[in-house]
Order: sequence, then structure tokens, then C-alpha cells
Amino acid sequence: MLQDLDQDIRDHLEKETRDNIDRGMPPAEARYAALRKFGNVTRVTEETRDLWSFVWLEQLFQDVRFGFRMLCKSPGFTAIAVLTLALGIGANTAIFTMVNALLLHPYDFRDLDRMAILWQDAGSDASVDSRYIAPADAADIAAHANVFDSMATYRCHSFTLTGASEAQPVNGCGVSANFFDFLGVAPALGRSFTPSEQEAGLETVTIVGYGFWQRQLGGDPNAIGKSIQLNGRAYTVVGIMPVDFNFPVPMQLWVPLALAPADRADRTRLSIQAIARLKDGVNAGQARAALAGFSARLAASYPNTDTRRRATLIPLRRELYQYTLPLFSLLQIAAGFVLLLACANLANLLFARMAGRQKQIAMRAALGASRRRLAQHFVSETILFSLIAGIAAVFFSFWTVKLLRTSISPDWTKWVPGWNGIRVDTPVLGFTIGLAVIVGAVFGLAALYHAGRVDLNQTLKEGGPGSMTRARARLRGALVVVQVMFALVLLVCAGVTIQGFHRLANVYAGFHPETVVKFEPVLPASSYSDATKIASFYRQLLQQTAALPGVTAAAVVGNPPASNVESDTTSFAVEGQPSSRRDEEPSADLQIVSSDYFLVLRIDVLSGRAFSDADNAGAPRVALVSRSMAGKFWPHADAIGQHIQLTNPGSASSWLTIVGVVDDVRQNWWDSLTQPTIYQPMLQAPERGLELLLRANANPVGYVSSVRAIIRQLDSMVAVTGVSSFDHQVNDSIGIVRIMGILMGVFGGLALALSAVGVYGVLSESVAQRTREIGIRVALGALPGDVRRLVLWSALKLTGIGLAIAVPVSLGVNRAMASLVFGIVSIDFGVIAAFTAVLVLVALAACYIPARRAMRVDPIIALRYE
Amino acid sequence: MSTKDPKEKIELLQGTLDLLILRTLLLGPTHGHAIARAIEVNSDDVLQVEQGSLYPALHRLIKRGWISMEAGTSENNRRANLYRLTAKGRKQLALETSKWDKLAGAIARILRPAEPEGGS
Repeated sequence: MLQDLDQDIRDHLEKETRDNIDRGMPPAEARYAALRKFGNVTRVTEETRDLWSFVWLEQLFQDVRFGFRMLCKSPGFTAIAVLTLALGIGANTAIFTMVNALLLHPYDFRDLDRMAILWQDAGSDASVDSRYIAPADAADIAAHANVFDSMATYRCHSFTLTGASEAQPVNGCGVSANFFDFLGVAPALGRSFTPSEQEAGLETVTIVGYGFWQRQLGGDPNAIGKSIQLNGRAYTVVGIMPVDFNFPVPMQLWVPLALAPADRADRTRLSIQAIARLKDGVNAGQARAALAGFSARLAASYPNTDTRRRATLIPLRRELYQYTLPLFSLLQIAAGFVLLLACANLANLLFARMAGRQKQIAMRAALGASRRRLAQHFVSETILFSLIAGIAAVFFSFWTVKLLRTSISPDWTKWVPGWNGIRVDTPVLGFTIGLAVIVGAVFGLAALYHAGRVDLNQTLKEGGPGSMTRARARLRGALVVVQVMFALVLLVCAGVTIQGFHRLANVYAGFHPETVVKFEPVLPASSYSDATKIASFYRQLLQQTAALPGVTAAAVVGNPPASNVESDTTSFAVEGQPSSRRDEEPSADLQIVSSDYFLVLRIDVLSGRAFSDADNAGAPRVALVSRSMAGKFWPHADAIGQHIQLTNPGSASSWLTIVGVVDDVRQNWWDSLTQPTIYQPMLQAPERGLELLLRANANPVGYVSSVRAIIRQLDSMVAVTGVSSFDHQVNDSIGIVRIMGILMGVFGGLALALSAVGVYGVLSESVAQRTREIGIRVALGALPGDVRRLVLWSALKLTGIGLAIAVPVSLGVNRAMASLVFGIVSIDFGVIAAFTAVLVLVALAACYIPARRAMRVDPIIALRYE
Repeated sequence: MSTKDPKEKIELLQGTLDLLILRTLLLGPTHGHAIARAIEVNSDDVLQVEQGSLYPALHRLIKRGWISMEAGTSENNRRANLYRLTAKGRKQLALETSKWDKLAGAIARILRPAEPEGGS
């Protein structure tokens, strides 16, 4: 096409020339006239070529080549700019790897966004672990509520695996036949359940998890069809799930949820869990409203069971986000601050560089470069180095991912959906490159805007930049102010987080967890249905383990602190404080403990007495309450001797007499210390699933085999699991907080370093620019002290403005964090004051060298310099 | 060169060059120089085309698919490219022409409101 163009133009000109000659012009003039009439041949050719080619691409290559040359010409600038940006982008990439895995892709389910957990409650808040629904109600809702596409139900419990050398507990889950189809995850090997396997009696098939397959079945590729013994029955393995399938929680195996016809029609007990997929176009609010309406219909139809029962739902994502969202928002924001700080530094560097290139820009403009062309030129140069920084950031993030994955125990992380998905993958790469390009583009345009106001005449003349200095000085001053501000806010965030982490560690340290070891004996439901039998097993277990040499105390407890599991809650009535409506009844955590529990964990009994073995089934019913509970319900009286009644649905207990008050205990890191707690003695409220805690004089791990032997001898069907030093449990349980502390610490350190470099850069340049002024001052008799004061003052003025803005801001951020991050962070003026002082010191240190240089200015040289 | 007084010459309105090229090619395929000449001659030398600007315009039309280019020979037996109106271009020309008529009519009515419409 384009070769033809040249031919055409030549041909055109020839013809025009000949026409002119025909009109009587001399040949030379004819040619000239033809050219004049045609216009600028080069411009026409270029304009036509532009139509066909990707000119911008050619220009881009030009610009990139040029940019590359420019970066190579000033390696110092390039290194600093790339490093600064790489840190800023890398911090964001590191956090984004987690956000991407944990928040954006926690599960590989089909239609994850339309899935919701469905449950019924009786008016009071149900904690995460008690979201159950009555089977018959669930079936009605699935069939008639009209807002769901489909629903799957499940009920998880522990099985005892026998057949190997020793009975072992395994986590299992009974699931409806459509469960795997519903989630859109098929077994990696074998098949999923068929509807007929939901019939009671036919449910002896199982799909095992990848881990179970590897450990128990030796990774045998022919494991399908093999038989395993669960709770004394033979189950046939029909499928093996993919390695990362861990719904509803990490499970070793799944079996069909086979309900007897009577159970299927049951409305009295909330006994199963349900997950439903909303119809396309139905949002959670609409579904909730529909469920509320449907609940009213159920209540009208089945007044005996369904009155006051209300079905509701929470989107699956929302449920997952409950704890992770505030945490990662905070980290992502902090990482964003680091990037902004890095950008402020870079802006400084860049503006200095642009000042040096003003002539070049003016020359280009004078030669006819359009604004767009100039913009493209600078943007491609800045994008070039931000891309290099982005690539560096990607390498940096490979390292942080490795660090993240190895620094927290898998015992904890297996409970975090998506944790195994933390990796540098396409979205992460996209995020990083996207971020780099945006930063680069913004810089290029900002630099151009800054340079675009250059007066061509003024600049091309040999003279100095004139009034530009003043505007630039103000801009750079503003940058220092902003930097100091961000740095303080970030440091305060980091400070209070780290402080919160230490406080947490200390809360649990109160237990002296290092010599406590924990066991979870699993009592099979079949043989331990009777309360007396349960109580007698635990009593014997406690007697025998406490008698082991070196063991100072043994206790069982429903949910030990730092377990990362919510405690059971109970609503209760207080004697003499009737509540008007049922849903206004107070609620508290309920803990079943044996008598020596407070001794084992060294929880102080503040008044009254702890439990003793005399508090048994035949004795008057007693309870202990936590300090906060006593203060809340009997603020002006002694809690001891008061009576309370636990009013769980279906089981109003007899009145309990409070016999003592114990100190508050933080159940989990996200719980508040002041959560009211009621303790009941194990002998009066025995239940299966209590955990055994032993306090020993020395290394507690040595007792593991003795305790196993004791349990095996008591009942060989009881499996033992969850053996760990309590110390480890505490450490693992706050792993995420520790990670957060470390990351915030790193961000804080980066903030300090970046702002120090930034303040230093601006000050040293401003001293260089003021060399002449300082020279005059010295010539007029200023003493070195005066000069030093001048430089220090200008530094402190900027720092002061930044701090003046940042102190209230960081106080606000601190307050927001305290409300956001589950009470581990508290408002701390000490931290704010300390970091304010640190920043002032940093600013002073940063201007030490410029001040020294200013003091040594030789007036003669300074005045001649110009 | 043209015989008209330069004062009577009119710069082309933006966008009208495309229309004129299409109209010229309606008479049959021809080459660049002939198109420029035709526009000048047919308008009694009133319309002045800077001849160079014809080529970007031609290529723009090719890109839009309204005309096509083919190798041919000019009168002196040299290779020169012939431009030919395509079916799509023919349709476009009809469209543009009616648009132009409307525009010209509207402007004329505004400029000479007294004149009876479509006067005999």
C-alpha cells in the first residue's frame, strides 16, 4: 500500500508538471509550481503512513529505547528509584498474595458468590459454630422458599477408625448426596454419593480426603473399593477428594448424611447444617426477607416447635470475611501507605531530574513536539522504571510468600480457607504489573505537568530557572510534609499492632502454658450416651493422670483458651432480675470444667471457692462466674450466693448457686477479655468431647505415652487426638496476629527509612540551592551557629507541619483500628508521642549533613558560583 | 493553473473532500491526479484542493472500505494506481449526498429566509 503511495505521488507530480508545461511554463518553474500546489510531500507521506501503521507503537519503541538510555546514563538515580518503588510495590504485592488467596478465592466452588450458610435461631445471636437447622424445616425451605436454586445439608462429627494398631479419631462429615455436585467439586478419584446412599442402612460408603488417603491408605491408587472400619462398621471407599478440598472445615472423610425417616421429619432439634445457592438475581437481603416470611408460615403451621424460630442466612463469603477482612484491609492500607511514601520520595527525585532536563523538554517543544508526544515520551520513561521495579517486586514477593507459608504452623492454617492458594499467580502478577504501570503513568504525567509550564523562551535562554525555584521549593516542602505525615500514621499503626501482639502473648503467658500438655480423648457416641458413664470415665482419667509422677494437676475443660474455637454460649436467667422478653435474656460463655482446671491454668479464684470433687451429681448445683460477669450482673452486691438458671432451648436447668468468682480469661485473640463466662463442674454437667490438660513440673511431652496407655486401658475404643503442648497451641493460635505484627513492623521500618531519605534529600538540595544566599549571609557576618540554625529551622518547620497534621490523623486511625481489630489494639497516646519524637530525631539527623555543609560554605566561592 | 481570481476560490470545508472524491469516482475508476483535476474543473476552479491532502484522504477511504485501490497504467503507460468506488462507498455517497443537501438547504433557508421555498 505504502510503496504504491510513493509511486502515486511521483506520478501525480509528473502529470501536474506536464500539465503546467502544456500551459506554457518553463520546465523548471513547472516542476516547482507542481510541488507548491501539492504541498509538503514528506508531511503527506507521513500523514498517510500514520493511517496504516501503529505509529504509537513505533514511537513507543523509540521512547523505550531512549528511556533505557537515560536510565543507564544515571545509574544512581535508576537504582534508588527502582529500589524505592520495588519496596513500595513489593509491600502491596505481598499483601495482595494473601488478599487474593484468602479473600478473593477462598474456595474453588462454582457460584461462590451466590452461596450462603442457612440456619435457624431462636432470637438470640447464634455463634459461628452453632448455625444449625431442623431437618424437616430445611427440606421445607429448600422446596418452597423460592429463593434458592438448591441446598445441601451436612453434619460433621468425629468417627473412630479402628483396624489399625490403635483406635484413632477422624474428623468426618455426613453430607447430603448432592453435596459435592452442589459445590461443583468432584472427587479426584472415584465417584460422589448417590441419592440411594442417603437411606439409613445403605450409607456405608465414604469419600476420603487427600490427607487421609496418603496417610491411612498409603496413597494406594487402587484404594477405591477398599473397606475401612469406622465406629465399628465397615465403610467402602468410593472416592478421594482433591488435595485442597476442605469444606466445611478440614475433613478427613465424608459419608452420606443418612437420616432415618423419623429424623428426616424432625422439627424439634436444630441438628443439621445447610448451605444453599441463591437463585440468580436474588440478593442476600431479599433471601433473608423471604426466609423471615417463610419462618412465620412455619411457625403458624407448627406452633409447637417453630414458634420464635427464625431462619436466616449469611453469604458464605461474608462468613469467611468476618475475621479476615478487617485484618487484611488494615494490612493492605498500610502497604498502600508504604507505596505512597515511596512515591513521595520518588517524586522528589524525579522533579530534581526534570529540573535538569527542562532545556531538553523546551527544545523538543520548540522543534514541534506536541504535548501528547511529550507526554508519551515521559510516561514511557517512567513506566519503564516502574516496570523494572514491578519485576523486582515480583521476585521479592516469591520470598515473602515462602516466609508466610513457612512461618505459621499448618495446624492453624489448615482452618483458613484458601491459605494453600497463597502463591504468586496470574492475578498477583496482573496486580503488580498494573500497579507499576499506574504508578509509572501518574509519575510521567505529573512530571510533564510540572515541566509543561516551562516558559520556552525563558528556559532556552542561557539564564537560570528564575521563579521556578520558588514553586518547586514549595512543592518539595509539601512532599516532606506529606511524607512525615504518612510516616507517623504508619508508625503509629505498626506500633499499636506490635504492642497489641505483645499484650496478647502476655495474656496467655499468664497461664504459664509451657508446662501444660493437652489431649483430646474422643468418646464414641455409641457407648457414651449416658451422663454417668461419661462422668465416670473422666473421673478415672483425672485420678490416674494426676497420680503420674511429676504431674501437679490435671483437669478437663470444654474449650481451653487459645483454641481458636468459639465457646458454647448459653442464655440464662438471673434470680431477682427478670427480663421482660425472652430474646432479651442475657447470654454468657459456658465452660464445663473439672475441679482442678483453675489450678492447671493458674486462673485466680478471686473470691469464694473453686469446684471440688464434692460438687458431684448428688450435691447442690453450683457454678462459678468470671469477674466481668459478676461486675455486670451484681455490680453492687456479692455475686456469691446468687442464683442463675441456664435456659438453653429445650433444657432449662435447675437453679445454680454461684460459689465463687474467678479472674477473666481471654478465650481467643479476637474475643474481648470481658466476655461474661459461667463455669459448671464437670461432675454435674458431664458431656463428651472435653479436653484433658495436664500441668507437669518439667517437659510435659514425656507424659504423652503414659497418658495414652492410661486411656487405652480405661477404654480401648477411646481414641486420643490433639496432643500438643499448650505452649504450641497458644503460639499457633496467635500466628495470624504475629504475622500481622511482623508485617506492620516491616512497614513501619520502611516508613521510617523512606521518610528519613526523603527529608534528607529535600534538605540537602535546598541547602545546595541556597549556597549563594548562605554565602551572602556569611559575608555579612553570620556565624556558623546562625547558619546551622537557619537550616535546622527550615527542616523542623516542615517536620512540624507534617506532625501537626499527622497527630490527630493517627489518633483517628488508631481509634478506627481499635474498633476494627477485635480489641487487640487499643488507643495509645504513648505510642503516638514516642513516634512523634522519633520522627523529630530522624528529621534532625537527616539535616545534620546538609547543615554541616551549609556551615562550611565559603562566601567567596559561593558568591563566585553562579 | 486556475483562471479564477484567487478571491473567488474557496477552501474546502472539513470532511467535504471525502464526499467529492466519492462523487468523482462514481464516474469510474481513475488515478490520484485525475481526481484532483476533476474536482477543480468540475467546480469551475472555485474549489481549491491542496493536492497533497488528497492522498491521506484516499487512504482513509480505503481503510474504511469505501474505495479500493488496484494497480493500473496511466495514459503514458506507466504504473499508476487506480481508485475504484466500492458498493459500500456507493451507499455512503448516497447517504452523504442527501445529508449534504439537507445541510445546504437548511443553511440556505437560514441565510435567505425571505425567498420562497423551492421557488420556481
